[in-house]
Amino acid sequence: MEIINTENLTKYYKNVHAVDGISISVNKGEIYGFLGLNGAGKTTTIRMLLGMIKPTSGSAYIKSKRVFADNIELWKNVGSLVEVPYSYPDLTVRENLEIIRRLRFIPDKSSVDQIIDKLQIGAYSNRKAKNLSLGNAQRLGLAKALIHNPEILILDEPTNGLDPAGIHEIREMFNDLALNQGKTIFISSHILGEVSRFATRIGIIHEGKLIQEIDTKELDKQCQKRLFVNADNAQAARAELIENGYTLGERKDGVTEVLDNEAIKHPDIIATMLVNSGFPPTLLQVEEEDLESYFLRIIGMKGVTK
Amino acid sequence: MKILKATFVTELLKLRNSKIVWITFLFFLFIPMMMGLMFYIQMHPELIEKLGIIGTKASLLKLGKAEWPAFLGFLIQGMAGIGLIGFGFVTSWVFGREFSDRTMKDILALPVLRSSIVFSKFIVVGIWCILLSVVYFVFSLIFGNIIGITGWSSKIISQNTYTYSMTSLLTILLCPAVAFFASTSRGYLLPMAFVILTMIMANFTGILGLGPYFPWAIPGLFGVAEGSAGMQLTAVSYIILFSTSAVGLVGTLAWWRFADHK
Repeated sequence: MEIINTENLTKYYKNVHAVDGISISVNKGEIYGFLGLNGAGKTTTIRMLLGMIKPTSGSAYIKSKRVFADNIELWKNVGSLVEVPYSYPDLTVRENLEIIRRLRFIPDKSSVDQIIDKLQIGAYSNRKAKNLSLGNAQRLGLAKALIHNPEILILDEPTNGLDPAGIHEIREMFNDLALNQGKTIFISSHILGEVSRFATRIGIIHEGKLIQEIDTKELDKQCQKRLFVNADNAQAARAELIENGYTLGERKDGVTEVLDNEAIKHPDIIATMLVNSGFPPTLLQVEEEDLESYFLRIIGMKGVTK
Repeated sequence: MKILKATFVTELLKLRNSKIVWITFLFFLFIPMMMGLMFYIQMHPELIEKLGIIGTKASLLKLGKAEWPAFLGFLIQGMAGIGLIGFGFVTSWVFGREFSDRTMKDILALPVLRSSIVFSKFIVVGIWCILLSVVYFVFSLIFGNIIGITGWSSKIISQNTYTYSMTSLLTILLCPAVAFFASTSRGYLLPMAFVILTMIMANFTGILGLGPYFPWAIPGLFGVAEGSAGMQLTAVSYIILFSTSAVGLVGTLAWWRFADHK
């Protein structure tokens, strides 16, 4: 069941194409990671999803209902966090949550205590928001987004400012919400390595355009592998490889790169061939592209081979 | 109504622990105290030299006889000026804080109409300004009595209470324009600059005899005695003031509803 979708969502600011024709679809129970560099258009997209910015063209839908400012029924089942979370600085954590409880018409007053416990900010519940650390301010922001136990979460870089333990804890919470409780989560990030740990699908946005959508399971297959070979007599080894029909490249430090996929899959064949030819390899290395390199390659910010 | 009640209560909650609330009340308490001091000096000219600059200032003000009509007249004129600044500041803060505290984005994707938030803010501004007016008036009467101003009569007091109330009310009606500038500029600076500009312009138009047609000069002219040339309010004056208020209100509502909240 489609929960969030956009149709050709576009936002121009004068000559700047902040978001350019984005069409995405997020199904129930999915965690959709929305990935992009700073300024790629993530926050603008999220603000359009939340009715804060009117699209220049195209539309956003939540549960098949079009998003616009007066369609307030939509927000009953949506929790959101946009950019750095700020709260009323002179009010305590509890008072800030009480404001949201009232504005969300949650009759159960204990919901404030429950969410304080869930986000583990009990020790700070009577502390003014202006005196919170960035990590705890982020937890308060998440508490405001989660207080009404929403079906849909739209979160803009929710792990900003959290320490590794906090990131792990939030990641586990998202997994539980999506996998066990069927919540739909749309989450933006600029770190592929992090978002790939819990997202079920990833959309990559660059310069306002959605340039790739991929299932997280497929991500490993998409990451390039490279085979590097060296020998005492490097030139002779290269000549032998060329003679056997392999296509070669060269790393910056002069090490030979074998570009054929079959060789990358079976480096043992290369090793056997070089040993039999009298040029035993001193280096036989399969290097797998990490997720951040993959991300940079996809958005065209990093070359693949020389 | 349920939504308006929720947004109104939360607007009140937002005032909790706020120093600004106390600062405004102290300001509106301080002004009548200073006014009382000025009149006290007027009643005791021998203090002028002893009190230095304050005494000199009091002697230059030409406050008239230290009697209740003059005191209350000064109080009403004071409201037109101090109210413009004080109420403008209150409005700037109530609307501008959502931007300076960066909390605006948290109140837009909620199951409440934005118009309801705006109306609630205006109700809070209205109540706050009325309370400030009451503090200013009551403490002026207290200080007037303490320093021994003469000529007290219930008729004078009731007449001036009406004039004062109307002057306050007309001043409060100018707040929506300030709210509009606080919203569109996303902060406090522009609306406060706007308030100061309107005050300067109110004085300037008053000198030119155009006060009855300049919205921000109109409250100050409400209490002016009949027959004062170029200072008499007409029906057109009230239409101008109410129109200014309505344009500010509609503009603020429209901005919250239609503007891109980046």
